[in-house]
Order: sequence, then C-alpha cells, then structure tokens
Amino acid sequence: MEMLLMGACLAILGVAVACAAFGAATRAEQRPPAVQPERAPVITPEATRFFAEDVMLPVAGRAAYARHADPSEASIALLIARIENHIRLEQAAAESFVEMPTASMLHSKTTSTFIN
Amino acid sequence: MNAQPDLLRGLTEEQVERVLALGMRTSVASGTDLFSLGGNAECVYLISRGRIRLTLPMKVRGSDEDVLVEERCAGQTIGWSALTPPHRFTLKATAPLDAEVICLPRKKLHEYFAAHPAVGVTVALNLAAVVGERLQLFQTMWLREIQRTIELTCA
Repeated sequence: MEMLLMGACLAILGVAVACAAFGAATRAEQRPPAVQPERAPVITPEATRFFAEDVMLPVAGRAAYARHADPSEASIALLIARIENHIRLEQAAAESFVEMPTASMLHSKTTSTFIN
Repeated sequence: MNAQPDLLRGLTEEQVERVLALGMRTSVASGTDLFSLGGNAECVYLISRGRIRLTLPMKVRGSDEDVLVEERCAGQTIGWSALTPPHRFTLKATAPLDAEVICLPRKKLHEYFAAHPAVGVTVALNLAAVVGERLQLFQTMWLREIQRTIELTCA
C-alpha cells in the first residue's frame, strides 16, 4: 500500500513537473515592446501617364547645359531653355490669333514658366 | 523635298524644276551655321531636309547667348533678306541636326524672273506671304508683350 501511494505521488509529481516545463516552453514572451524610431511614411508616386518626368530641354539648352560644367553657367543654360520655351509658346499663341483674330485670343494665357 | 516649297507654290512642276535648277543643294552639318547675323545675303534658302534654327543674340546674365526666335523645317524658306534690300541677314541660322538646303542665288533668280515674269510674279507673291506671315506673328507677339508690360506697370 505504501509503495502504491509513493508511486502515485511520484507520478503526480512527474506530471506536475512536465506541465510546468511545457507551460514555460510554450508561454509567449511578454516583454514591453522596444521603442522603434518613427519612420516617415514612404509615398511612392504613381507614374505619370501623359507627361515626361523630367523637363525636356530644347536643343540649345541641352547643348549649353552639357557645355557648361560650371553651375552658374548651367543655370544660364536652364534660363535660356525657359526663354526658348516661352518664345515657342508665345509663337503658338500668336499663330492661334492669326488663325482666329479675337481680343480674347490676342491676350490668351500660356503655361510659360518664364512669366508666370 | 516631297511637298512644294512655300516660295514656289502655284508654279507648275516644270517651272519648279527650272527654278530649283538655278540653285545648289548644300548639306549643313549638325551645329553648323548656315548664315550669320549681318552677313551679306546673296542666297535665299529652301530647306529640303531637317530643321534650321533662327536665333538672335541676347545678353543673359551678362553672357552673350544665341536665343531661338524661330525654327523652320523642310519646305520652308529662310534667308529671304537676299530678296529684300538691304540684303543683310537679320538673324543667325544654325542646323541643330544634319540638314540640307537648296541655295538660290539672288542674281540668278533676278535674271530668271526677268526672262520669265509670270514665274517672278508668283514667287514675289509667295515671298510676300512668307514675309506677311512673319510680320503678323511678330506683331501679335509684340502686342502680347506690350499688354503684359501694361499689366505690370499699372498693377
């Protein structure tokens, strides 16, 4: 009888130890979350469908831009490119007026960045 | 040149060929000047291939730069200063890419027109149209500029 009780106690003790070990192994860690540095949200712009991503310089502007390694000269090349773009737009506006001469057509606005 | 050049519009094919035979086809390499501002205008040019940039010198931040005034393409006439006194080019012409022009010398044209007055009249009318178009465009551009100046000064 004593032997039986001792065996039962040992079995219960073994089951308890096994349960404790299983619980310890499967318990999720409950550490406080580490402080993560805040990241700026990355917004990926959608590809444009109709317009070029970069400004297309006219031939003279491109040539001048390539010719001038000096930043100040490169800025002159960019300025010339803007002037030439403005002249093209003004010429197109003038052609529209000559086609259909009205007061509103004469003073129609263009998208020129040189004056706007 | 597929289409009839603007200066020779209204002429028969035979007349066009005869006028073109007075000239000489010349290749203009990319980046080369065809004529310079103030130069003697001995020839009028018909663009047969490519484009020609017409520029004027401007001071941009203290630097002398050739700024685009007009760009002409195949079938169009440039250098008509050769046909109007004082026969000095009022713009500079450069080929941005390889181009080809037909140079028509003023002297040969005048002689041909004297012998063929009907052709001379047609060409003169076409020239008037080319010059008139330029005048109208520049008058409009000038008016737009004046309007902007008024808006800026009276704002």
